[in-house]
Amino acid sequence: MSQSTTVVPQPTEHRRPKIVTSKQRVTWVALVLLALLVVGVVWGLSIGSQHISLSRLPGAIFRADEPDELILQSIRMPRVVLALMVGGALAVAGALMQAVAANPLAAPEIMGVNAGAVFVVVLAVTVVPSLSGAPTILLAFGGAAVAGVSVMLLAGSGRGRVSPVRLALAGVTASSLLISLTQVLIIFDENSADSVLFWLVGGVNFAGWGDIRNLLPWLVIGLVGAFSMSRSLNLLALGDDMARGLGQNVERTRLLGSAFVVVLSGAAVSVAGPVAFIGLIVPHIIRRLAGSNYTVLLPLCAAAGSVLVLYADILSRYVKPPYEVPAGVVTALIGAPIFVYLARRQKVTSS
Amino acid sequence: MSTAIVAQHVRRTTLAQRYPHVLMGSLGVLAVVLSFYSLSVGATEVSMHDVFNALTGNTSNQAAQIVVDFQLPRVILAWLVGIALAVSGGVMQGVIRNPLAAPDVVGVTKGAGFAGMLLLLAIPGVPVLAVVPAAFVGGLLAAALVYLLAYRRGATPVRIALVGVAVSAAFEAGIRFLLVRNPLDVSAALIWLTGSLFGRSMSSVYEILPWVVVLVPLVLIWARKLDVLGLGDDLAAGLGEPVEKTRRLLLLFAVALASSAVAVSGTIGFIGLIAPHMARRVFGGRHLASLPSAALFGVLLMLFADMLGRGLAPPLEIPAGLVTAVIGGPYFLYLLVKTGK
Repeated sequence: MSQSTTVVPQPTEHRRPKIVTSKQRVTWVALVLLALLVVGVVWGLSIGSQHISLSRLPGAIFRADEPDELILQSIRMPRVVLALMVGGALAVAGALMQAVAANPLAAPEIMGVNAGAVFVVVLAVTVVPSLSGAPTILLAFGGAAVAGVSVMLLAGSGRGRVSPVRLALAGVTASSLLISLTQVLIIFDENSADSVLFWLVGGVNFAGWGDIRNLLPWLVIGLVGAFSMSRSLNLLALGDDMARGLGQNVERTRLLGSAFVVVLSGAAVSVAGPVAFIGLIVPHIIRRLAGSNYTVLLPLCAAAGSVLVLYADILSRYVKPPYEVPAGVVTALIGAPIFVYLARRQKVTSS
Repeated sequence: MSTAIVAQHVRRTTLAQRYPHVLMGSLGVLAVVLSFYSLSVGATEVSMHDVFNALTGNTSNQAAQIVVDFQLPRVILAWLVGIALAVSGGVMQGVIRNPLAAPDVVGVTKGAGFAGMLLLLAIPGVPVLAVVPAAFVGGLLAAALVYLLAYRRGATPVRIALVGVAVSAAFEAGIRFLLVRNPLDVSAALIWLTGSLFGRSMSSVYEILPWVVVLVPLVLIWARKLDVLGLGDDLAAGLGEPVEKTRRLLLLFAVALASSAVAVSGTIGFIGLIAPHMARRVFGGRHLASLPSAALFGVLLMLFADMLGRGLAPPLEIPAGLVTAVIGGPYFLYLLVKTGK
């Protein structure tokens, strides 16, 4: 791997030395995502058990005098907005995590980060039923961080180096353990069937403006922090030694990146539950389409994650109208094949 | 390399090596004692006296009635399901020569669960005896899918496990999808998602019984063939074993056993993974010893999981599958760390 002095980002998992981000491609991807986003938002607002013409939308934004406007304002708008926020947060968290762990199979949902956040939130709500809003998000950060670090340590504790596949297996098992514990808590709490499924698969069915207010500050911190790290991440992608040689504090970048992963995925999960596979698949798709320069990769991931969750949520409402399949089910069905594809590409033959 | 993986787990403790029958016998006694105790545990506490009355046919009082109608089928099922899952896992690990193989790892449990549920929802009033074959087809499909997807110049253990995770996730999403389209009550939903013996009756026992009674002895008769396969393909073929044929047939038996368990109890995880491991650690790698002891460990684990689920916070029921996941998850992590080289 000969490396010229120009900073050409080099994804560690592909051994292809080219990938020069072409501006034209990035523009195209951005435009397509934008179009999808606009169509999705309009679509997401217009469907539901009650058909509402979109001409009512402008009125519904600030005041809601009529029932239709009320539905738009209090049910559909928060739902669409939350889908956008959660998708963006999880996708950026996934891209960050893959960069920080130098591991293409790393993602908050694979590494137990999401399950850890869910477990702690459900535990907190079970112990203190009145708990809600901001404190639960802080607790989710704690759960996410502890779970993520434990999985890293566990996967690294075998003799030899941490292979991506081992890391993923350890993470998936830790996730299933945490999800089982969460289910036990839910049984003790005797919640309704809806909330059981919600905490187990994730979705934005029950979104309210309160959730969005709680999530917003953390989302802004996480996204701004992540975007501001893109130069460091580009250097990190060259490999530790190269990055160090170029004056990069690798440990600090890793630590900071992990912190933003925890903030983004913890916050998203605490309001939407564990929406599956977004953080894993979106960065891979975008990297394929638009190259791996983090300066453009991260914003595009945010947009693509939003689009994916939004459409998953829309799809979930079409399945059988009165009942809704949580968006997490839809993303799991989309994500599993992509996960298989990624796992197959791993050239790991030992044990 | 594959033989090395197996050999690594063939560790014999002196007691088990010298007196395997003594140790296995005491495990069996423990399982029987636990079964009796298990009969008395539940939402309504039943005295041991009533338990014995009920078992001897005197069901005059209400407590004895509860034992016969609700507790007894569950305990019998715990035995059958534990045996089926553990033997299935033991066979898979022997045939694939892979310590991470197990019905739930290669996707069989979730595939079988999905197929079983699909049948029950698609054809209401379907005879229960049809559920097991349907689950078998689902389990087989899932296993074939995992193998095909993991195959890339050979299928390495870890890649099989990883692809199994993804295929299981897809089938689990399918199960949730069916659950939402056809709202059942929460406890029924949790049975299909995590596995439980809650609310099972004698009819479930009759569903799984023929499969266990026929297949487990067959597998035990073939235990020596498993040992031969463990020597490696070349050596096994040299010894006159039709390797491919034997392997396929044994895998078919393993999938059938696991699917029959899933058809009656839902998707209980990790038993098929950890019971054979415990057996191999204690009794060594010879399948004639390790398979029956794996079955005993499976029974003990199932009894324990079901009992804990019933007795921890009555009248609430914690599905047995959750208990086994909480025990089995850390064990799997431990195995993963240990097999790391």
